[in-house]
Amino acid sequence: MVRLIVNRLLLSVVLVVISSLAIFFLMSLVPGDPARTILGANATPDSIERLRQQLGLNEPLLSQYGTWFAGVLRGDFGQSVFTGDPVVALILSRLQVTLSLILLSTLVIAVLGATLGLLSAVRGGVLGKLLDAVSLVGLALPSYWVAIVLVALFAVTIRIFPATGYTVLTDDPGRWLLSLILPVAALSLGGVTIVAKQMRDSALDVLARDYIRVLRATGVRESSIVFKHVLRNAALPSLTVVGLTVVGALTGAVFVENVFVLPGLGTLVTQATTSHDLPVVLGVGVFFTLFVIIVNLAIDLLYGALNPKVRVR
Amino acid sequence: MSARHSPSRKLLATAIAAIAVLGGVSACSSAPSSGGGSTSGATTTGGTLTTQFAGVPISLNPALGGSGGSAIFTSLPYDSLIWQTGDGTLIPDLATDWKLSDDNKKLTLTLRKGVTFTDGATMDAAAVKASLEYFLKAGGGGTRYAGPVDTIEAPSDDTVVINYKSAYPDGPAYLTQYWSVGQIIGPEGIADPESLLTESDGTGQYAYSASDSVTGSSYTYVKNKDYFNPDAQQFDKVVVKVIGDPSAVSSAITTGQVDFAGVNPTTAATVEASGLKLVKAPFFTWGLTVADTQGTLNPALKSAEVRQAMALAIDREALASAIGADFTHANGQMGAEGTDGYVDGFGFEYDVKKAKSLLAEGGYPDGFSLDVLTENILDGQTTISQAIAGDLGKIGIKVNLVVKNSVPDFIQASLSKQYPAVIWPVVGANSAQVVSNFIQPGVTNPFGNTNEKLSALYEKAQSETSASARTSAYEDITKAANEEAWFAPVLSTDNVYAVGKNITGVTASALNPNPLPQAPDAKYAWKRTK
Repeated sequence: MVRLIVNRLLLSVVLVVISSLAIFFLMSLVPGDPARTILGANATPDSIERLRQQLGLNEPLLSQYGTWFAGVLRGDFGQSVFTGDPVVALILSRLQVTLSLILLSTLVIAVLGATLGLLSAVRGGVLGKLLDAVSLVGLALPSYWVAIVLVALFAVTIRIFPATGYTVLTDDPGRWLLSLILPVAALSLGGVTIVAKQMRDSALDVLARDYIRVLRATGVRESSIVFKHVLRNAALPSLTVVGLTVVGALTGAVFVENVFVLPGLGTLVTQATTSHDLPVVLGVGVFFTLFVIIVNLAIDLLYGALNPKVRVR
Repeated sequence: MSARHSPSRKLLATAIAAIAVLGGVSACSSAPSSGGGSTSGATTTGGTLTTQFAGVPISLNPALGGSGGSAIFTSLPYDSLIWQTGDGTLIPDLATDWKLSDDNKKLTLTLRKGVTFTDGATMDAAAVKASLEYFLKAGGGGTRYAGPVDTIEAPSDDTVVINYKSAYPDGPAYLTQYWSVGQIIGPEGIADPESLLTESDGTGQYAYSASDSVTGSSYTYVKNKDYFNPDAQQFDKVVVKVIGDPSAVSSAITTGQVDFAGVNPTTAATVEASGLKLVKAPFFTWGLTVADTQGTLNPALKSAEVRQAMALAIDREALASAIGADFTHANGQMGAEGTDGYVDGFGFEYDVKKAKSLLAEGGYPDGFSLDVLTENILDGQTTISQAIAGDLGKIGIKVNLVVKNSVPDFIQASLSKQYPAVIWPVVGANSAQVVSNFIQPGVTNPFGNTNEKLSALYEKAQSETSASARTSAYEDITKAANEEAWFAPVLSTDNVYAVGKNITGVTASALNPNPLPQAPDAKYAWKRTK
C-alpha cells in the first residue's frame, strides 16, 4: 500500500506538470490581454505596455512558464494579476465551499444511490422499472438546469431554502446546511441515478449467483445475505462509478456555484478564466489535478479494503 | 401488515421532522438583513444594506478602479470632491464650492474643513493635490476623464486649482463619485498603493473590511466613525455581492437576499411582478460605428452617402419592439433622450428606398460585403448585431459578423484595425462626451480618425460659458454627427434596477444612470423604511 501511495505521489508530479503545461498553453492561445482587461477600453497604449512589462507578459511563453513552475517548487503559486492576492490564499479562502459541496454530494450520491439500487434489486417490480426510467432522466438533465429549476421551486416559489449565497460552517451550522441543500441536490441528481442503476445491475448479478442460493438454502437471514454478501460484492463496480461521479461533480460545481452564487473554486476559476488571470487559473488547475489524483487513490484503497483479491501489497 | 409498514411510518415521521427543522432554520435565515440601528420618522438607520453588482471590481484602488456603476466598490470608502445626485445635479462633497473660469480652463475648488482620512491625516489641499497627481500617474483606465490637465496647484490649505490645457467644462462632472479621478486617497495609501487592495484610505462614509469580504464574491464596507457628516450615514454596513448570472440576480432580489440589484430587461418583468419597485434610466446608445471612414479596408465606407444609407436601412422601431419596448427605445441620434444635446424629433428614419438611392449615389448600387466586429456579452446572443446585419442585407450589404466572446477580446480585436466597422454601445451625459468616442482614439475609433467639422464643434461646445449656449452647441454636434454618419444609431437601452420593498430614495436619470446608496447629504441617501 505504501508503494502504491508513493507511486501515485510520483505520478501526481508528472500529471501536475502536464496539466499545468496544457492549461498554460491553452490560455496563451485564448485571445485577450490581462493588461487590457485590467486597464479597460480607454487605457493608453503606453499604460498597457507598462503594465504588461510589470506583469511579465512580454517574456517568452516558456520563460513565463519556467518562472511560474520555479515558484511552485518553492511553494509560491504567484499572485492574482487583478487583486494582487496570493493564489494559495485565494484557493484556501474558497476551499471550504467547494469541498463542502463535493463531499456532501459524494455522500448523497453514494448513500442514496446505493440504497435505491439495492432496494430496487431486492424488491424489483415497479421500483426497478422506475429506477431505469429515472436514471435516463437523471443522466439527461444538466446540473445547471436542475439548479435553476430547484431555485425557482424551493427558493423563489416556496421559500424554504436560500436562493443564493453560502454561510460559513462555523458561523452557523444550520444555515450552512441550508445553503448547501439545493446546490448539493442539483449536483447529486445525475450521480445518484447512475450509481443506483449500477448498484441495481450489480446486485441483481450477485443475487443470481449460486452461493446466494446456497446461503438462502442454509437458512441465512435475508438481511444478512443482502448486507453482508450482496452489498459488499455489488459495491465494487459502484465504487468506481462513485469515483467518476465525484470527479464529474468537480466540473458540475463550476456551474452550480455560479447559479447559487457560492464563493467556491468554481466561481473563482470562472472569473479568472474570463479575465485572463493566468496564475489563478493555473493554481486552481493544479488543485483540481491533485484532487482527482487523491480521489482515484482513495478509490483504489477502498477497493482493496472491500475486496481482498485486488488488495495491493 | 402493520409491522411491514412501520419503517415507512418512521421514514415519514423523520421526513416531517426534517422539514420542520429546516423550516425553522429557514425562518431564521429569512429574517431581514438589517438589524439594530435607530429609527427616525418613517425610516430607520443602522443595519446592513446588501446590494448586487454584476462583476468583480477592476481594482479597489480608485486610481485603477472602474467608473460608472462599478464605482460602488471605491466610492463607498473614498469621498469624491463633488457629488452627483440622482437627477444629475452637482452638490458639495469634499469640495464645498467650485468655480470654472470664464474660458473653462481653470477650475478652483474650495475644500471642506475638519475632514480626516482613515489613516488619520487631514484632508487638505496638499493631500487632494497629491491624490489627483497620483491618479494621473497611476495609468488607470479612467485617466482620460481627468481631462487635459496642465497643472494642479494648492495655493492655500483649503483651495485646489486645476489648470486645463484647453477648455474643459465637464471638469466638475468628472470629479464626481462615478469617475475615480474625483475620489481622494489619503497620503499613506498614495505612499503604498498596494495597501489599497486590502485596506482603504479615504474619507468616505464606509471603510473596506477585507476580513469580512471574500475576494471576487462579496465586498463588505463598515461605517467610518470619523465621517464628517454622521447624519448622512444610513447603514452600519454595506455589502456588495458579485452576482452576474441574470437568473441568480432575479432570485436574490426576489427573495430579499439583496436590497438592490441591476436586473436584466428579460427578467425585469418577473421581478416587478413579485412586487418590487423598478428604477430605470437611459444609458447605452447602440449602433454601428464605421471605424474605417477613410476606406482603407473597405473603400465603400469612405462615402458619406453609403454611411448614411446604412443608417437609414435599419428598422429601429421593429428592433426595439422585438427586444422589449419597456426598456429599449428606438433612437436615430447618438445621445439618449434626456442627455444634453438630444434633439427632440431628430434622427435617422427607416427609409429603405432612400437608403438604396444613397447607396447608388455613393457608387454601390448592388451593395458590398462588410466585416463587422461585435461581441456577445453586452449584446447578449448578438440580438442587436444580427438585427443590424439583417437590415443592411435588405439594401444589398452583406454583413459578415465576427463575434467575440469577451469584452477584452472585443476591445483587442477592434484596436487591431482589422475591422472596418464595429457594433458597440456609446454613453455620455452630453453629445460632446458621446462624439469624443468617434473623434478621439479608442475602441470606437481604432484608426484614429479625425474630422475637422466635428472637432471644431466639440471645441466650440467646450469653450461655451453658459449652459444654454453649451446645450445649443451640443445639439449642433448631434446634427453634424448624423450628417457624417460615422455612427449609425439604433437603440437606447435603459439601466434597470430592482429595489427592495423597504428601501427608498433610489433615483436615476439619463444624467446619472447608476444609483449609489450613499450621499454626503442625508436628503439624497438611500434609506430603509420602518
